[in-house]
Amino acid sequence: MKPAPFAYERASTVDEAIALLRRYEGDARLLAGGQSLVPLLNMRLLMPAAVIDVNGVAGLAEIREEGDEVVIGALTRYSAIEWSPTLGTRLPLLTETVRYVGDRQVRSRGTLGGSLAHADPTGEMPLAALALGATVVVQGRDARREVSADEFFLGPYYTVLEPAEMLVEVRFPVRPTVSAVLEHARRHGDFAVISVAAVGEPNGDGGWKSIRLAVGGVSDTPFFAGEASEILSGTTLESDVIERAGAAVVEAADPPDDIRASADYRRHLIPIYVRRALELMQARRSEGAT
Amino acid sequence: MTDAIEPVRVNATVNGEQVTREVEPRRLLVDFLRHDLGLTGTHVGCEQGVCGMCTVLLDGEPVKSCLMLAPQIEGHDIATVEALNGEELHPVQRAFKEHHGLQCGYCTPAMLMTSLALGRRGVPLDREQLKEELAGVLCRCTGYQKIYDAVESYLGEVAGNGEAA
Repeated sequence: MKPAPFAYERASTVDEAIALLRRYEGDARLLAGGQSLVPLLNMRLLMPAAVIDVNGVAGLAEIREEGDEVVIGALTRYSAIEWSPTLGTRLPLLTETVRYVGDRQVRSRGTLGGSLAHADPTGEMPLAALALGATVVVQGRDARREVSADEFFLGPYYTVLEPAEMLVEVRFPVRPTVSAVLEHARRHGDFAVISVAAVGEPNGDGGWKSIRLAVGGVSDTPFFAGEASEILSGTTLESDVIERAGAAVVEAADPPDDIRASADYRRHLIPIYVRRALELMQARRSEGAT
Repeated sequence: MTDAIEPVRVNATVNGEQVTREVEPRRLLVDFLRHDLGLTGTHVGCEQGVCGMCTVLLDGEPVKSCLMLAPQIEGHDIATVEALNGEELHPVQRAFKEHHGLQCGYCTPAMLMTSLALGRRGVPLDREQLKEELAGVLCRCTGYQKIYDAVESYLGEVAGNGEAA
């Protein structure tokens, strides 16, 4: 199908984009990579009065190290994340997760900020942001605010972003961690039926000081599995601990019944993928990989 | 915001030529190429970013032209399969011919452009990585093996020449 008519606006600064969003009073959409927005326009699931192209906004596609954080601009494309030597060393979970996103063409265009703002329940970048404990930086007309990834996603395709706010960058804490991500989809490159990401901080005695577990595809939004993470932190990941963590995630999840999988099947997969992701993380530590 | 929608002027380079057109903002890049420029080598499939038939190169990178609006190519460089036109077959076309990398041909323009971008990137790929790179273009006839053979042979040729074709 073809999109319904809309006006096309180009913003060359964040302030301009926000002014345009205000002018259209909630009836405009920001266009970044467009890999989720344009299909929705084509299918007329969205019919905004205007599309505001922010691809020309300078300075939002940078990856920079700031102290013990890596800051990634909202317009950074998936391929730039995939091929970034900085991220490969500092945030390997992010480069690993990107390989589950769409296909080569999607990764040429799609952006980190777009993925977070779109808030697909199966989204890979939201999953990674949650597991890594990222902070989302949001610009409004008068102020800039920082929102923890744990609090950013409110529902399917729904975030804390106000109609005249723009996501400008994402800050990732960098610590000496080991990580792993796994995803199950019906077809290669398709939306996730389930995805699990684990980030663990090893301690000296072979155990794990802290573990952050995030899960996608099994609720209204990808979510940080707080209770499971608490169960896992401070352990050596014994089999029964992993089992309890898996059960805690099943408890916390509210899986949908949809065209890709039944809720029951998703519930069945949760403990399996939680275990596999944690065991993969454990194995990587033994190999000395970080 | 009920005013009539303003057309947008688009200036871009398409297959090495400067083009200027006025388009409706909702004009998809693939329709711009086919209907406004008459470049029908780029095919339309699903119009929702799944099949990859409409793949073209934007500043050298493969993109799905059904997922871009024509106004977005302002100031950019687009290459479609017509860029391979010449007296003789382009090496990537020759590889597809020699390895029987097509049957109905519907996905071929997208396969060729995706392969061309891989050749230019110049990163060595094993068979599994190659499959990954081509996963965004669906082919419903050949079972892919001949396509992989063709692209492997083309990438080998590019690497052997020590230059981007």
